[in-house]
Amino acid sequence: MAEGELKPAAMQVEAAEAASKPRFRMPVDSDNKATEFWIFSFARPHMSAFHLSWFSFFCCFLSTFAAPPLLPLIRDTLGLTATDIGSAGIASVSGAVFARVAMGTACDLVGPRLASASIILLTTPAVYCFAIIDSPSSFLLVRFFTGFSLASFVSTQFWMSSMFSSPKVGLANGVAGGWGNLGGGAVQLIMPLVFEAIGKIGSTPFTAWRVAFFIPGLLQTVSAIAVLAFGQDMPDGNYRKLHKSGDMHKDSFGNVLRHAVTNYRAWILALTYGYSFGVELAVDNIIAQYFYDRFGVKLSTAGFIAASFGMANIISRPGGGLMSDWLSSRFGMRGRLWGLWVVQTIGGVLCVVLGAVDYSFGTSVAVMILFSLFVQAACGLTFGIVPFVSRRSLGLISGMTGGGGNVGAVLTQLIFFHGSKYKTETGIKYMGLMIIACTLPITLIYFPQWGGMFVGPRPGATADDYYNREWTAHEREKGFNTASVRFAENSVREGGRSGSQSKHTTVPVESSPADV
Amino acid sequence: MAPQQSIHALSVLAALLFAAACLPAPAAAGVHLSTLPKALAVTTSAKPGQVLHAGVDSVTVTWSLNTTEPAGAAAAYKNVKVKLCYAPASQKDRGWRNSNDDLSKDKACQFKVTQQAYAAAGGSPGTFPYVVARDVPSGSYYVRAYATDASGTEVAYGQTSPAAAFDVAGITGIHASLKVAAGVFSAFSVAALAFFFVVENRKKNK
Repeated sequence: MAEGELKPAAMQVEAAEAASKPRFRMPVDSDNKATEFWIFSFARPHMSAFHLSWFSFFCCFLSTFAAPPLLPLIRDTLGLTATDIGSAGIASVSGAVFARVAMGTACDLVGPRLASASIILLTTPAVYCFAIIDSPSSFLLVRFFTGFSLASFVSTQFWMSSMFSSPKVGLANGVAGGWGNLGGGAVQLIMPLVFEAIGKIGSTPFTAWRVAFFIPGLLQTVSAIAVLAFGQDMPDGNYRKLHKSGDMHKDSFGNVLRHAVTNYRAWILALTYGYSFGVELAVDNIIAQYFYDRFGVKLSTAGFIAASFGMANIISRPGGGLMSDWLSSRFGMRGRLWGLWVVQTIGGVLCVVLGAVDYSFGTSVAVMILFSLFVQAACGLTFGIVPFVSRRSLGLISGMTGGGGNVGAVLTQLIFFHGSKYKTETGIKYMGLMIIACTLPITLIYFPQWGGMFVGPRPGATADDYYNREWTAHEREKGFNTASVRFAENSVREGGRSGSQSKHTTVPVESSPADV
Repeated sequence: MAPQQSIHALSVLAALLFAAACLPAPAAAGVHLSTLPKALAVTTSAKPGQVLHAGVDSVTVTWSLNTTEPAGAAAAYKNVKVKLCYAPASQKDRGWRNSNDDLSKDKACQFKVTQQAYAAAGGSPGTFPYVVARDVPSGSYYVRAYATDASGTEVAYGQTSPAAAFDVAGITGIHASLKVAAGVFSAFSVAALAFFFVVENRKKNK
């Protein structure tokens, strides 16, 4: 402070504080991440980021699964065989395997806003091309390229993990992911309705389904433009601005990659996500045709049933995220792990039951709805854990998990729902058994500072150690790891009730949360 | 907050299960093809392997009493229902076109050619000139005719040989306006992305 200038200096300090601490309408932690989740608010930047991300992801789901409800028409127009349909279904989810991993890296490097808008706008031409395809191979190609847009899931989770603090991150991730996945269900209702409306205007069936594809295409274009125009990467600003001002260290791809692939927890979560989310995608692809062909119901009825599977996402996935956060408030990370294992295993059991009750239409529908609730809640529970696996490589690990989800979808469809080898109900039964088996690896996840399912935490291990392990001493000296330090501070409640101040800890900005 | 949400969730679940229980069940069983006498002789003017264009070309279907049947058998036939059926080549690997002995579950014969009175005047064979409908998809087809009694139940049938099927080239449904619209919207999407990148770069360099 300058001599003899007490009053102006005080004002200068105040002004400096106001400039470096932006005011937010929502309560935030030391990282400026929101500690509350106001679902009906559009407060910038936290809640507006939420609405932009879930809606653009919803539109991607609309496009990716726009074909299945209209398959009874498309298969006749293009002369598709069961093998063609199965291959296209696999193609629709296989593109995103690699795209999700790439998207994770892109988020780490250039931020979720640019990364998600880019992939969404670059895949919309494929959606428009559905209107002009005329052969099985072109059908496979458009489904393949449209499926790339599902990579925007990763940017959704990354964006929510950047905007929301530990007490609400599971819920934010769950609602954003769930309401996006809703698109896979809503489209099974929307497309037959749009098709009928276009038919009433006077179009022949073979043209009407083509015109219907412009709806998901246009929605996708508009939502991505909204993300670019109104979105913001971090509470403090966009990546480019933060990199330039030095507030945020611009990391390198090599480092991000190394710390993601060497973390075994990322691989386990990728596998198990393949059997919650992957199964959800596989079912989105086959369920309308299954009910139409097995029970002889009308196209619109089959669409309605298929829609109810996907639309359970409106409560189930957020419910999973909420359950994860609640378990964490009582039992810490161990609660999150147990919750995931139990819910996903029950989902597997219900899947086996669904395959076994194919003699009854009403029972099949009821079991399918229960199954959807559990398997989608498992997705929400998974992303209650992912934000804590790594801080440096958060994007890439979200991408690996998301990509693993798609690998599960590809494998499941390839093994059980391709060609005429298994009857669909048999395939569903075996898929359930595979879910139960592939959920067991969750028992192997262990965090030194918080414990695993069967083993408690190692005494003396701290979150600080765990997250700072990802940085070399040299990088730490230079302060590159400040984000990880803040994250470690704010995740202290993952130690369970014994490890945090109270059940309802929202870490206020002013206090020092590290000593509890 | 949590208990209230779980009550909401449970009530939604209960409503869905109730709705599921009330959904309509599928239809009841019908006549079996194997019980029907193959009493009709059916021919078409299309040669085996000939390609007919949907909405444009036509084929004449002729049906009459099979010469092996007693002459008076046709008195019971009030109407005739003629259908276009998928040939085995078009059914392969397409479970939704499977034949079924139970005619109410049979999915091989989905397109109606005509439904009219059985007998033509003067005892000559019945005929019908059929313009291939615009909603018939590409594939191989043969023709089957059912003779029905006064109540509409099938009492006899006849068909052309599935091995001597003719082909239909269906319409694609693609119009030039669709191609233009797809091109314009695709270009717009990519251009919008490029626009925002340029704007970002300008801001960064300022």
